[in-house]
Amino acid sequence: MANHSTSSHSRYLQHHFVDAEQQFDAAKMGMWVFLVTEILFFGGLFAAYIVYRLWYPELFVMASEELNTLWGGVNTVVLIGSSLTVAMAIKSAQLNQKRNIAINLGITLALAAIFMVIKYFEWTHKFHLGIFPGEFYAYEGIDHPKANVFFSLYYLMTGLHGLHVIIGIGLMIWLLVRSVKGHFDSEYYTPVEITGLYWHLVDIIWIFLFPLFYLID
Amino acid sequence: MSGHHISTDKTLLGVAGGLLVLTVLTVVVHYLHLPDPWSIIVAMGIATFKAMLVALFFMNLYWDKRFNLMLFGTSIVFLALLVGLTLLDTLFRVDVLPSF
Amino acid sequence: MSTEETNLKKIQVQRYEPESDPDQHYLNEETGIWAWLTTVDHKKIGLMYLASVTFFFFVGGIMALLVRTELWTPAKTFIEANTYNQIFTLHGAIMVFLFLVPSVPAALGNFFLPLQLGAKDVAFPRLNLLSYYLYVAGALIAIVSIVNGGIDTGWTFYTPYSSTTGGAVTTMVFGVFVIGFSSILTGVNFITTIHKMRAPGLSWDKLSLFSWSLYATSIIQILATPVLAITLALVGLERLLGIGIFDPALGGDPVLFQHFFWFYSHPAVYIMIVPGFGIVSEVITTFSKKHIFGYWAIALSSLAIAFIGFLVWGHHMFVSGQASLASMVFSFLTFLVGIPTGIKMFNWTATLYKGSIKLASPLLYIFGFFFLFLVGGLTGIVLGSIALNVHLHDTYYVVAHFHFVMVGGMVMAFLAGVHYWWPKMTGRLYNETLAKIACGIIFVGFNVTFLPQFVMGSLGMPRRYFNYIEQFQVYHQISTIGSYILGIGFVMIFYYLVKSIYTGEKASPNPWGSRALEWQVNSLPPLHNFHHTPVIINGPYDYHKPMDEFQLGLAESGNGHGTEVDVSSTEEKPQAE
Repeated sequence: MANHSTSSHSRYLQHHFVDAEQQFDAAKMGMWVFLVTEILFFGGLFAAYIVYRLWYPELFVMASEELNTLWGGVNTVVLIGSSLTVAMAIKSAQLNQKRNIAINLGITLALAAIFMVIKYFEWTHKFHLGIFPGEFYAYEGIDHPKANVFFSLYYLMTGLHGLHVIIGIGLMIWLLVRSVKGHFDSEYYTPVEITGLYWHLVDIIWIFLFPLFYLID
Repeated sequence: MSGHHISTDKTLLGVAGGLLVLTVLTVVVHYLHLPDPWSIIVAMGIATFKAMLVALFFMNLYWDKRFNLMLFGTSIVFLALLVGLTLLDTLFRVDVLPSF
Repeated sequence: MSTEETNLKKIQVQRYEPESDPDQHYLNEETGIWAWLTTVDHKKIGLMYLASVTFFFFVGGIMALLVRTELWTPAKTFIEANTYNQIFTLHGAIMVFLFLVPSVPAALGNFFLPLQLGAKDVAFPRLNLLSYYLYVAGALIAIVSIVNGGIDTGWTFYTPYSSTTGGAVTTMVFGVFVIGFSSILTGVNFITTIHKMRAPGLSWDKLSLFSWSLYATSIIQILATPVLAITLALVGLERLLGIGIFDPALGGDPVLFQHFFWFYSHPAVYIMIVPGFGIVSEVITTFSKKHIFGYWAIALSSLAIAFIGFLVWGHHMFVSGQASLASMVFSFLTFLVGIPTGIKMFNWTATLYKGSIKLASPLLYIFGFFFLFLVGGLTGIVLGSIALNVHLHDTYYVVAHFHFVMVGGMVMAFLAGVHYWWPKMTGRLYNETLAKIACGIIFVGFNVTFLPQFVMGSLGMPRRYFNYIEQFQVYHQISTIGSYILGIGFVMIFYYLVKSIYTGEKASPNPWGSRALEWQVNSLPPLHNFHHTPVIINGPYDYHKPMDEFQLGLAESGNGHGTEVDVSSTEEKPQAE
């Protein structure tokens, strides 16, 4: 790392860092610390889920029947695919393949959009049946007095996750624009790297949500 | 920036393939309807394994600075504290929930 | 990657003595209101935080005086019961979320952490500015809620009352949510800064104890605050959409709210007090001219407090209906907090032993801290035992206990810090005599206010009540008189500190003769903190070493601006990993 400060990319080096390496490491560590907060942010909901599931195991078995395992599974595959393309985008940046960065980010964006479209149809289908969260719950197909609590948790957890996907879509658009402009290469790709970390975490959370809601028996 | 780990296509595709197989596996196990405690244990075991694959190879923790791995572990430990100590109450109440 | 050769390259180090009254400093290198509002300089952001928390401290203080005045008589004195409920709620919410949590980390920490690390700024300066604006936005939203119906839930927002009562609870919890986000980002920033921004030679065993305490605090901030955020979001959604996680009428469990709330709010008590501990270590060593006794014991006990703080939240819930098993475990774990706290107290007193003590006003505040925090801490142990807690729960005993910790501990430490670092922040000296008198007034006023509350609490006076029976009147009246004395003390401090900015004597760079790094720069510090990258060979408490070993800088290095090439000195730099 001898000559970083004199490399052509010092335009991205902020004044308070000694070199690009320090800047990259700091950004990455900052993102990891932020991911810790994200895990605990979702953690509150996971804790509520566990408490209620242990109180009412039969409710979770009954209510889970209302969820479509096929579409949940498809969405899992979609997100795994998008994680792969993000990782490929970072690899492309490291190898200085500027065009491939944009292509991979584009595919990621498309997959994220597919995820949200499927999610949209899942939710509207339930609204159609009268399955609303909390006090607006009006579905009679589940014979359990606390059925609304299950769906409150369902909407909260998939909703918060969906919100993160939407934020991720926004970040991907930003990255795509910058990569088309040629901002990223093997010397500077910090935004791709740390957005990638965020995106993988969103994937990990879905990896847990899928069996917790769709695969209960 | 030399010195950063660069994953090969083989690794990335291999991990993604593994994740897909595990996804199919967990759905298949679901339809097998294992006896009570086992279905959740297997489902969570598979999910944890998948999460580890993503964290170690997509998020590069396997090659990254150890401190980042420690951060990730810390968040899991404190999440476990939140859940564990809460369950210490909710599982041992005399009346689970007062009914209204 | 670097070769062996560059690793072994010798670095050129020179002594750079700090100037007093320099021509260029952080206050005049960029001027104008716009430069302030868009600044990414951690020192200016720190000052803006300081001004904001001071403002909210006085707002919260006025609320406290209104509460105390109303309690002069057993029935209505001059305000309605509903208004009274709103005022004590605001007193608590403002003091906790707008003053105590950001006071030391965001105000003093922002200013001094990079200076103590020998860094030019925090790791993410723009994020730092964003934190400040989130804090302001959250505060404004909270103010809107006051105008828009007020809240009367108490600062704890317990469900199901908070999810069903009228008023602007939704707005208020949203405001606190936003402030929480600000707190999280500060934590992220500080942890990364401490790991990645230390100057050459500044290894972990040379880190100042204030930095250690901010590190522990940041860990709590990033681990606990997100849980508060999601919990308050759930309360808001419960009011807006009827999500029934906490409201029993909708199938939820109100005690679950208390678990989640206290998972944040108990550790949050340590967010408030641990940075204060850091100030104590700094002030004690400076004014006794002695190496800190038990450096590692103090540094690690901060981390221990941060960790144990996550294990004890259930002691707020002994009468909530939680399982008795949980109560027993939480009670036992609560006593563990006493161990690291005790370690700190003993090490501090041992530091004073045989030191050459100079009883300046910052140290005087720290002595106040010792007495008051000791009482606060020990009554905490009392409250941690279940049987006694059931009797004392929600009485004035609890109120007195946490005010001894929060005001007697934290505010005293905060004031010590403000007095200690005032010359560095403003370049001026305040009136020392007035400072000592004010400290005395606060100490007396505080005890007159809160000691009677222990007595009436143990006699059964419940907290938050508007009416009370006549036998308690004498205690309430003494307490009210004390609160006015306390108020006079704070106004006095405000007066002479502000006055010193205009008429105070110009301060030398190091008026206390401290060895800590922040005192080895100009007063006022330059915009980018150091003209030459500092090189550290001694710890901040090495008073047995000569002063010229503390003012070293890398020759030929600059402040990061201009064309100078950063010397390969970075190879020398001990990184975190």
